Amino acid sequence: MKVRIKNWTGVASWRWIANDDNCGICRMAFDGCCPDCKLPGDDCPLVWGQCSHCFHMHCIVKWLQSQTVNQQCPMCRQEWKFNNK
Amino acid sequence: MDKLKAIFPVVTDNYTLCDMPASEIEEDEFNAMVEFTETANIVVPIQNMIVNRTEDILRDKIVPQFWSFFKKNDFSRTGFQKFYNAVKYLHDSYTSFYHIYDRLLLFRKRTNLKKPIYEHTCPHSALRLILRAILFSYYYLEHDNIIKEFYEAALKMEDSEGDHHCIILEDNMDCNCLHSFNETNRKLGEMHLLEPLVGQDLTDVIYNYTHSHIQKICKDSFDTNYIWTLEKWLKNVVLNWLGKIYCHDTSPGDDPMLMFNNKLTNFLYNSYTKIRIDQLFNIIIEYPESLPALSDLRDALPKTDLKPLLTETLQKAMETRLLHPGVSTPDILTAYVAAIRSLKVLDSTGLLLETVTQPVHQYLRSREDTVRCVVSSLTEEGPNDLAYELVNGEAVRIDENTPTDDDDENWECWIPDPIDSAPSKSCAIRKTSDIISMLVNVYGSKELFVNEYRTLLADRLLSQYNCDTEKEIMYLELLKLRFGESQLHYCEVMLKDIANSKRINQYIKQDAEYRESDIPLNAMIVSAQFWPPFKEEKLELHNEVTEQIKKYTEAFETLKGSRTLCWKNHLGVVDIEIELAGRTTSYSVTPVQATVAMYFQDKGTWELEELSKVMQCPPTILRRKIGFWQSHGIIAETSSDVFSIQEDQENKDVNVQEDIFVEDYEAESAMASARDQREEELHTFWSYIVGMLMNLDTLPLERIHQMLKMFAFQGPTIECSIQELKVFLDRKVREHHLIYSNGYYKLPK
Ligand SMILES: [Zn+2]
Ligand SMILES: [Zn+2]
Ligand SMILES: [Zn+2]
Repeated sequence: MKVRIKNWTGVASWRWIANDDNCGICRMAFDGCCPDCKLPGDDCPLVWGQCSHCFHMHCIVKWLQSQTVNQQCPMCRQEWKFNNK
Repeated sequence: MDKLKAIFPVVTDNYTLCDMPASEIEEDEFNAMVEFTETANIVVPIQNMIVNRTEDILRDKIVPQFWSFFKKNDFSRTGFQKFYNAVKYLHDSYTSFYHIYDRLLLFRKRTNLKKPIYEHTCPHSALRLILRAILFSYYYLEHDNIIKEFYEAALKMEDSEGDHHCIILEDNMDCNCLHSFNETNRKLGEMHLLEPLVGQDLTDVIYNYTHSHIQKICKDSFDTNYIWTLEKWLKNVVLNWLGKIYCHDTSPGDDPMLMFNNKLTNFLYNSYTKIRIDQLFNIIIEYPESLPALSDLRDALPKTDLKPLLTETLQKAMETRLLHPGVSTPDILTAYVAAIRSLKVLDSTGLLLETVTQPVHQYLRSREDTVRCVVSSLTEEGPNDLAYELVNGEAVRIDENTPTDDDDENWECWIPDPIDSAPSKSCAIRKTSDIISMLVNVYGSKELFVNEYRTLLADRLLSQYNCDTEKEIMYLELLKLRFGESQLHYCEVMLKDIANSKRINQYIKQDAEYRESDIPLNAMIVSAQFWPPFKEEKLELHNEVTEQIKKYTEAFETLKGSRTLCWKNHLGVVDIEIELAGRTTSYSVTPVQATVAMYFQDKGTWELEELSKVMQCPPTILRRKIGFWQSHGIIAETSSDVFSIQEDQENKDVNVQEDIFVEDYEAESAMASARDQREEELHTFWSYIVGMLMNLDTLPLERIHQMLKMFAFQGPTIECSIQELKVFLDRKVREHHLIYSNGYYKLPK
């Protein structure tokens, strides 16, 4: 018997490689999107800080804008620096 | 005195009709008689004597003789002949009296007698009064049937088309029965007996005849307007015929034809409406072909007072024909939609619709698959044409606070609005103009509806990689108009996922780093948060596929930084080609089935247990999946739990390239449906129910529900309405886990 696969359409769900499931700021799932967005993934990306915490990009940007004095990570209170890995 | 007897032979003791004066009395003879009576002063006694004798003769002889014509045991004549003869006899006698009363009239003039006879100054009127009074004091019971037979035969003849073929004496071609008929009516008219003697029977005959005529015409034929034709028939045939009878009626009073006209027109409408009401369920089912019948009914109904009957009858018909376990939910929905459309024709206020469909709502709610059926008929072409409604119907936004009728259990207490409530007001409250809104409101929750739609959409998208997303997007846009953007946002993401997947597949395939082996792989990459939960199933794919998947995942990770893929191995579609014994066949199968085939390519014989371990698939499920290849003659169970490829195909057509595309996409949802989840919850009650019935032997539904409420419904989510419990228990009965009789459930022995 010879079997030939002409086409295999599989199903997969995508997810962010992050050490948590939810955004520490908005509490929404990373694989979902921030409260201001409608579409997940490319449209509502994640960003990592050098402290290794990560958030929805829109969430951390909003957070940082609200912080007038120090730009701190809302989780560990270290100074926030984007980690462009 | 002899002269008197000659002039008024009626006064003689042995007067018979044959003694009727043969010729006119000489003028002077009459004058002599007048003179004599005046001198003897016996004018009044003479008149009294004539009247008394008339009464005696009528009572003793003529009337009994007349009624004797109707005797039942005379089989020698038809009813037509009997009645004809009876009237002929009566009229002959009447004519004899009439001549005598001519003389009485003259006598009264000459003697200037003013004393009335029974308050009549006209002797002839008095004669007819006496005749009538005596005639009906001897009522003979059999006569009704004979009179009916007489008129029925004549009416049938009148209504028969073409030649006026005699149907009374069928063997006689030149029978003058029509003449006899007219003669009889004329005689009755002369005696002023038409209405008193035959009026009621004639009316009955006409009613029966009209009713069966309508029935014959309207039987099972809903696609033609009949009201106008029937009215024309009534006028041209029945009323015209009646006119020929009643033109002989000379009695004073209201015009009988006017009375008949009104009475019969009313009867026609009533009769037609009643017949249509009895057929209404079938008429509804045949919508829109039955539109003519519906518009007839709409026009006829206001002329009758049959609206309550219509409501009651239709409701009953719906219950007996539709609302029982033997009818599938799609069929109920089809009928329901047809009912909505038809009843809108009958009654634009929606009041009727609401009343009639109330039990249907209640029933549909108790069915588990209602929402699924509604949703699938909304977005697929089917007998309901709901998709058409969605595309062409006027979009009515279904608001969260739309008053629905499901917020209480005691809908029996629901009181219909008064019939005379202003239509405009009802229209404002009711959204009956929109079928989809009505259907959604059957369930009361648009959330449930949208969830079910999402599950269906997910199934469609996952089972057909190349499904028509453009059409799906169009439906989605239309649904958004009704359900609102937010409710359907998840579905939008799902459709977007599919579009993105196609782009990513293309991109990855062009990637120089990505190498595709013998397995062309495409992925449907979903945003799990937005899709309904998938059924979890374990499956170890063939390592060739696993390898390819690994490569694909790597390519994806490179493409989309910080993101990876979690594969649902058991989901997807595989197009596979199998060459066996010189025959090549194409199939479209599930990943499990494809994996089975791939393992059998590696090794011709597998023990079930062994393959189950390799594929990490439970033996029972695996056996079913192998079953697919068995049914196509690829694999056989050679001994118990041992499967082998069937190399020795009996097929003689060697080397034939066949391209049978076998679609075997198991019609099984990839989604864990709300129903499945609910099922699991209900199963937690089952042990309680078994325990109860072991202790108490038999219990009615209400009692089981009560006890579950006390002991089993503890979590906030685990609630169960009595209807839902009934559905659950009834399924247990079907599965023979329970016995139900006389309203009580018990365990089988
Ligand atoms: Zn966030
Ligand atoms: Zn965002
Ligand atoms: Zn941090």
